[in-house]
Amino acid sequence: MRPWLTLLAGVISTPAWADCPLDLGHGTGIVVFSDRYMLALRPDPLRIEVGQPFALLMNVCTKRGDPAELVLVDATMPEHKHGMNYAPTIEADGSGRYRVEGLLFHMPGNWEVAFDVRSGGAIQRLTHDFVLK
Amino acid sequence: MKRLLLILSLVVVSGLARGEAALDWTADEVRAVGSHGPWPPAPVRDPSNRISGSPAAAALGRHLFEEPRLSSRQVTCGDCHVAGRDWRDGRARGLGKVELDRRTPSLWNVGYQRWFGWDGAADSLWMQSLRPLLDVREMAGSAPAIARLLREDTALACGYERAFGERPGADDEKLLVDGAKALAAFQQTLVTPRTPFDDFRDALVAGDRAAALRYPVTAQRGLKLFVGRGNCATCHFGPLFTNGEFGDTGIPFFVRPGEVDSGRYGGIARLKASPYNRLGRYSDDVSGVTSTRTRHVEAQHRNFGEFRVPGLRQIGRTGPYMHDGSLATLEDVVKHYSTVSLDRLHSDGVPLVRPLGLTTEESADLLAFLRTLDADTPELPPPPPLCP
Repeated sequence: MRPWLTLLAGVISTPAWADCPLDLGHGTGIVVFSDRYMLALRPDPLRIEVGQPFALLMNVCTKRGDPAELVLVDATMPEHKHGMNYAPTIEADGSGRYRVEGLLFHMPGNWEVAFDVRSGGAIQRLTHDFVLK
Repeated sequence: MKRLLLILSLVVVSGLARGEAALDWTADEVRAVGSHGPWPPAPVRDPSNRISGSPAAAALGRHLFEEPRLSSRQVTCGDCHVAGRDWRDGRARGLGKVELDRRTPSLWNVGYQRWFGWDGAADSLWMQSLRPLLDVREMAGSAPAIARLLREDTALACGYERAFGERPGADDEKLLVDGAKALAAFQQTLVTPRTPFDDFRDALVAGDRAAALRYPVTAQRGLKLFVGRGNCATCHFGPLFTNGEFGDTGIPFFVRPGEVDSGRYGGIARLKASPYNRLGRYSDDVSGVTSTRTRHVEAQHRNFGEFRVPGLRQIGRTGPYMHDGSLATLEDVVKHYSTVSLDRLHSDGVPLVRPLGLTTEESADLLAFLRTLDADTPELPPPPPLCP
């Protein structure tokens, strides 16, 4: 988690991205970005445990400040090529902030979470890896 | 300092004299072993069952567990989940009115499970308890008959009032569910004692080398295999030695020529169709917090032929093994995982279950470890009277 805190600090100090509200509470979060999008996310509860459901609190932004939408969240274990046994749901509050419910990592190992986001027509996929021991 | 070294040397020498030794454990191994404890966990409280954790409810459940009048066939829960046989029947496949397709699982630690039944068709222990009560192949009971018994039997009606704080009412289906909730409250008390593994785990985590020496070196080698190359702990995770989910372990799923057991795939369909799941009106969890799994679980093609990953506590005493009882001994199980066919498992990625190719010594070590998950269990005292 610590490298992401460092990255978060770096992102916050970047003026061009200052409009994306990254503080998701508890003074911590993870930032995932591409050339166009920036996602801030925080697990709830903060510590993800094997076999325990969790949610993701998310902000979805574009670097140019255009409205953006979170379309899909899913997770897979790339090594084993299988996904979760659960289908998460996305609840939006209308201001770019989302709560993704129903995630559950049922095994230790590397989980790749995919986020499909859209601003305008095309959907872009961003990913972030969680490693559970 | 010299005195400390002398004491440590004596401890090691006395251990070696008994054929004991402490292997070297890496920090990652200590963390992995530590994740299988501590034991026992906190007592079970299920918010979907308002009498969960109540001694009066457990007492009523204990009486109902041995009550033949719940069944039109005059059989009891305890006929298959036998108290003196680690709460299972010891048969390869359960026997009701006919022989069933799956093995009767032990009830040890059942309250800590998240899904119930080999296919997870129930999301609570009280929902699971309803299934054999109503299944015509098993107890073949009915809501009107069970409700009438709870209303009209003086002792059971008194026990009901103590457990639920009210007299049995007129709603037959509610009384059926309440009976299952009492059965669940009793089963939640069935927790295995500490084992030799637990003592070693605690010693290893605490850095207590002298205490760790009491654990046989063969079991230590087996434990290293379990958390390491064997990859067993990926599914047999945590203090219960299960991740609570489902897997395909390469056991054939044909139950008869031309007929398969769909396992988890069919279990999810039955769960979603049932009025007794945690999303239904019989759940007492008004917050909905404990229904997250039920709300989000989704059948996928790969669930076909998957069965619940069983916990491993008391594993040496609860054979036969696998969901269909097809492996008679623990030795057979270790041999299965040593030689399982990858062709049967159809994995696109790195398979979770793959032939371990264990040597004779490694198999013996793994068995030695698994047998340290067994504990001597105290005899169950007679049930307390429901009412004086």
